[in-house]
Amino acid sequence: MRYAPGTEALPATGNNTAEPASGGNGQALAVRDVSKRYGPVIALRGVSLDLRRGEVLALVGDNGAGKSTLVSIISGLTRPDTGEVLIEGEPFAGHGPKAAREAGVETVFQNLALVQTLSIAENVYLGRELYRGGAVGRTLRFLDKRRMRREVEAAFDRLGLDLPPITAKAGALSGGQRQIVAIARAVLWQRKVVVMDEPVAALGVRQTEAVLSLVERLSEHGVATLLVSHNMEHVLRVAHRVVVMRLGRKVADLSLRNGKVSGMQLVGLITGGITEADL
Amino acid sequence: MAGPSHGMRARPRANLGINTVNYQALRRLGAAQGGGLFVALIALGAYFTFANASFLTRSNLLVILLQVSVVGTVAVPGAMLLVAGKLDLSVGSVAGLAAACFGEFNKITGLPLGLSIAGALLVGGLWGLMNGVLVGYFRFSPVIVTLGGYAGASGVAQTITADATRTGFGPAFAVLGNGEVFGIPVPVVIFVTIFAVGVYCWYETPIGRHLIGIGANPEAAEAVGVATRRLPCVIYVLSGLAAAAGGLIVTSQLDGASVQIGVGLELQVLTAILLGGVAFNGGRGSLWGTLAGILFIGVLDDGLILINIGPYVANLAVGAALVIAAGLDVLYQRIERLPMGTIEAVPSRTEGAGESEQSETVGVQRREHRRSDALRSRH
Repeated sequence: MRYAPGTEALPATGNNTAEPASGGNGQALAVRDVSKRYGPVIALRGVSLDLRRGEVLALVGDNGAGKSTLVSIISGLTRPDTGEVLIEGEPFAGHGPKAAREAGVETVFQNLALVQTLSIAENVYLGRELYRGGAVGRTLRFLDKRRMRREVEAAFDRLGLDLPPITAKAGALSGGQRQIVAIARAVLWQRKVVVMDEPVAALGVRQTEAVLSLVERLSEHGVATLLVSHNMEHVLRVAHRVVVMRLGRKVADLSLRNGKVSGMQLVGLITGGITEADL
Repeated sequence: MAGPSHGMRARPRANLGINTVNYQALRRLGAAQGGGLFVALIALGAYFTFANASFLTRSNLLVILLQVSVVGTVAVPGAMLLVAGKLDLSVGSVAGLAAACFGEFNKITGLPLGLSIAGALLVGGLWGLMNGVLVGYFRFSPVIVTLGGYAGASGVAQTITADATRTGFGPAFAVLGNGEVFGIPVPVVIFVTIFAVGVYCWYETPIGRHLIGIGANPEAAEAVGVATRRLPCVIYVLSGLAAAAGGLIVTSQLDGASVQIGVGLELQVLTAILLGGVAFNGGRGSLWGTLAGILFIGVLDDGLILINIGPYVANLAVGAALVIAAGLDVLYQRIERLPMGTIEAVPSRTEGAGESEQSETVGVQRREHRRSDALRSRH
């Protein structure tokens, strides 16, 4: 059975997908008419897409379809030639990955951004440490280690994650567990948009399941997720909507909520065998 | 159906329990390796105490601290660099350069004492800044840059002094190397102060974890906003300053500013840091371990002399300890990579995964059972 959002009420602590979020029509991310060319190669031709709060949007396409370029632009790593990226209505483009993070976009890359020799808690707060209260604590940059541990534990609990003790070193985690920590970090830092580039590509069956269920839970917390995947089964299971890219263009933008789109049809769109009009 | 499935579940769970316990015991053993040198240090101290009654006396312990104070002072920023995957081989030559500059400033240029000291520290800091900019910002190899500094700084010192030794800096300057504060030698006070500041920075501010992050996974550290360029650069400056301070302390003790000051310091510092468990490639290590490394060498040198075994044996013992520490380090890394349990996240919503996988899954958490049971009853 495939999960259809809105049909089954799950206990969620965050905003549910069904209810429209406040401000900007619940729009978390908007890509407006973005183009990018590398010399003679046109990677993106006027691509636009919208991502609402709590929505999981899958981005599919063959190699060279422009997915990676688009992800790279959204994460601030690449500057588009034309067009703009808006986070909750605020434009940002080409100011680097730090600007993207500050604007609320967290990108979880395949090679995970965890430090193996630091603990889970240390990793989650790396580069964003909490200091003890008061002017003295902040001036001396006095770490509030207990509060950081508590917050990490609370966040994992909220997301229903069972991980090894948060004092365990990240190096002792499995690939799936690390992926989960990296994703959970995005939630804890209250990112509005989480971009995942092939998050389960190197994972086993159980780890894949764990990551996918976390993706589903993210949407319950109001986080907008952009999921790049080659696996149509995963796309159909977790995504609410799918954008199909082909040769630098967006060739289809389909809702998956009614369950009428099949994996074969998606493959047809990706390869150019069929068009959106054929559906 | 409930019967066999329960049986299937129970067996692997029991296995997991045993494995986890074993791993945790091993891991505890591994964590102890970080403090293992402290144990060795206490054992060594106990042995020397039995062998010679004068070992465990206030005056002898102060002698040990005095002996290690210069190496210890330089090792504080040195350990921070090494854990970040950097290295400063220029500290010995920079100490000599600072000493030489102090001599020239005070005796030839005729600057007052305070300005001469400040000038010497400035020279050390600037050399550190050069190392830091080249390694931190331009990503030059730390070994090559500071090996260049190792040769270059002593070359500069020899040029400006023409290899002459300046002497006679007066009683005020002698306090730095030979004076006492409340009965404790000034160099020891300086070392303890710098170490205390180092402990604060390493453990109570983000600096320690950021340095470890830079050493273990620079891309990841950069991605989350750690100052992978600025932070090492700042520590290089501190390393240069510490080296200059060390050079001045020795100059004061000898009452002579010679370019020979600091020769071999870089290797003594590196030995203490590595002995203390900081990984040569960075990413792992602690400042407390470094303290153990510093004290271990000091106690060994002192104790072997007390029991009338010469300094040559002390060198041999330090060498052997270093190799043993390297072996323990390899073991520790293996222990650290042991998997932590097998629990991932709680699968929800899909009943398929729950049904098909639970039987073969090792150690599925209780919460998962609850969730899938709830799902099953709903359908």
